[in-house]
Amino acid sequence: MIAAKYYLLLSAAVFCIGLFGILTRRNALIFLMSIELMLNAANINLVAFSAQHGNLSGQVFSLFTMALAAAEVAVGIGIILVLYRNFDDVDVTTATSMRW
Amino acid sequence: MAGPLEFAPAIAALPFVSFVIALFFGRYMPKKGALAGITATAGSLLLAIWTYFTVMGNGEPHTEHLHTLVAVAEPFSLELGILIDQLSALMLLIVTLISFLVFVFSLGYMNDEGETGLPRYYAGLSLFSFSMLSFVMASNLFMAFMFFELVGLCSYLLIGFWFREDAPPSAAKKAFIVTRFGDYFFLIGVVGILATFGTSAFIGTGGTESFPALAEHALTGSADHVHTFGFDPQTWFTILALLVLGGVMGKSAQFPLHTWLPDAMEGPTPVSALIHAATMVAAGVYLVARMYGFYALSPTALAIIAFVGGFTALFAATMGVVKREIKQVLAYSTISQYGYMMLALGAGGYVAGVFHLTTHAVFKALLFLGAGAVIVAMHHDEDMWKMGGLKNELPVTYYTFLAGSLALAGIIPFSGFWSKDEVLYEALRLGLNDPVFMAAYAMGLIAVFFTGFYTFRMVFLTFHGEPRTNIAESPHQYGWNMKAPLVVLGALAVVVGLINMAPLAKLTGMDLTYLHHWFENGGELLTVEHYHHLLTEVSGVHHVENSTGLMLGSGALSLGLALAGVAVAHVLYNVPSPEEHTDKLGSIKTVLFNNYYQDEYQVWLAEGLTANVARAANTFDQGVIDGAVNGVSSVSLFAGERVRRIQTGVVTNYAALLTVGLVVLLVAMGLLGGWF
Repeated sequence: MIAAKYYLLLSAAVFCIGLFGILTRRNALIFLMSIELMLNAANINLVAFSAQHGNLSGQVFSLFTMALAAAEVAVGIGIILVLYRNFDDVDVTTATSMRW
Repeated sequence: MAGPLEFAPAIAALPFVSFVIALFFGRYMPKKGALAGITATAGSLLLAIWTYFTVMGNGEPHTEHLHTLVAVAEPFSLELGILIDQLSALMLLIVTLISFLVFVFSLGYMNDEGETGLPRYYAGLSLFSFSMLSFVMASNLFMAFMFFELVGLCSYLLIGFWFREDAPPSAAKKAFIVTRFGDYFFLIGVVGILATFGTSAFIGTGGTESFPALAEHALTGSADHVHTFGFDPQTWFTILALLVLGGVMGKSAQFPLHTWLPDAMEGPTPVSALIHAATMVAAGVYLVARMYGFYALSPTALAIIAFVGGFTALFAATMGVVKREIKQVLAYSTISQYGYMMLALGAGGYVAGVFHLTTHAVFKALLFLGAGAVIVAMHHDEDMWKMGGLKNELPVTYYTFLAGSLALAGIIPFSGFWSKDEVLYEALRLGLNDPVFMAAYAMGLIAVFFTGFYTFRMVFLTFHGEPRTNIAESPHQYGWNMKAPLVVLGALAVVVGLINMAPLAKLTGMDLTYLHHWFENGGELLTVEHYHHLLTEVSGVHHVENSTGLMLGSGALSLGLALAGVAVAHVLYNVPSPEEHTDKLGSIKTVLFNNYYQDEYQVWLAEGLTANVARAANTFDQGVIDGAVNGVSSVSLFAGERVRRIQTGVVTNYAALLTVGLVVLLVAMGLLGGWF
């Protein structure tokens, strides 16, 4: 059995990739993908600990997370659509009207 | 208790309805709101008469609780209520009668003269009647204060009725500010009384006691429920009494707060008759009478009231001697007569003070309305030196005015004689025991001579001799609506003194002191006997024995002086073409004509002293207080200005901040938690 720490390293790596995407990219669709990566990093953690403890709760939770991710994408796509209508672009840095 | 006393609130409510009608619908009505006012005050008058006879019938005071403004039992609650007893029933009768007659007179003085803005005028008069009647009926000092302020407001509105001219708005402001100055002390007094006694009721109801009764208990024994803030009760009650007296002196135009009243003559003459002669200025005196159970406990306050009253009586009378305008003479005589009332109340003459209040209300309203009629006849010229010989042209005005003048001068058997004689007699009886009261009496006595003189100087200059101008030769005639009130008041001025003919009663042994008996009834703590008991037993104020010789001597002395004054006026001014004899007084006349420079020194006090203090206080406020507050807030402003820059609107920046925050948190927890 593979030790849990390798899963955690994998999970941390995936999470950091997602975070890197959010911090550096400007396209809103890439944002959604990055968020998916981060959520899946969490899923990897949940499943890894579930295997470690021999308990299925973690795996059940990861199913919930996937459902949540699907819902989030639905809402996110909607937001992006509105963003495009208002700013003719999906670049998140152009929508800066809500500021000081 | 059923019956007319249930309708007592309507006495005040009717004029209020007429106020609303005149204000909102007056311009569409045929007489611009006058008819509403006349109807309302006539209704109030009938109700007041009914109330009067009911009170006469059952003798018991009627109290009614109307509304609780602040319903906290501890330390005190603020309430609106009604107290109808002998004193307020009498005063309601006076106020409603004169209001009604003034409304009728206004038809001639205002409507027939084609004035504009009449709805405003009638609304103001109605509001005044409402406020004054509510003040009279007030069951506690707090409510009295509220309506005391409201009558001041109405006075301001009505003095400034002709606001397009220069003088009336200025006079209105002066009247408001000077009386407010007195009311400021009154307000402190009300708060003080509430804090001291926990109640400001004039009469005890259902287990609670009135504040004069609590004060009496505090002085005669148990001071359990009274907080005197570390003072001796006697001293503290005197302080409270004098604070309330500040409001009284402002409203009743007593020295040194009398300066507003002569200027108030800038208002329409019916207003002067109603507000500045018969009723509103009586509010101060009425207030002292209303809480006489409290004033009677403080010999110091009584002495001050008597002395100020006597001084004001003389002081104002001397100024009345030199005035040129008919209304100015009447204004100073009003101040002087209110001085007499204060003298009477200060000298323990409760009945005498209220008696003079009653007779004065009648004859001074008569004189002002008569002066109003003369002013209309003279095409709104008030200068007596342009009149003369009006008695042939205006007989009704002349005879009624003469009746009022005889009453004012105190000539037997007109009403003023009986009341003024009783005032002076009460002061003399106390004066023989106490030099302060003797001085007050002496000033009052000398003022009798001046009163006789200036009154008949005015009568002779106005009505006798040869006409001195073309207008006076053929004056403007006026209708029944001005004559009828004059006739009613003229008849009353002759007979109203009959309600209390003390000297005649003494002489003949008949029972003629009806007013005295009237005040022997009522609530057990509101009767004249109780006040007498307080004066003698608690305050230690003693009158000398009531003797026939003293009474007749006092009466004869004041009558003689009044007649002397009339005789001097007759010799000097009752000639075909009189001269201004007061010019011979030289510099004294200048001083008198300028009112002893009272206005000048008060303006100096305001501009030279108070304004500087206010300016310094303003500088302190702006610099130190506001400076500290602004300094503190500038820190926040500065910080906010900088910190808001992080709100860039770029979502990536927010994500970066979140990440940095999370990392910082993790590192901090790691360091503190000892992970490394």
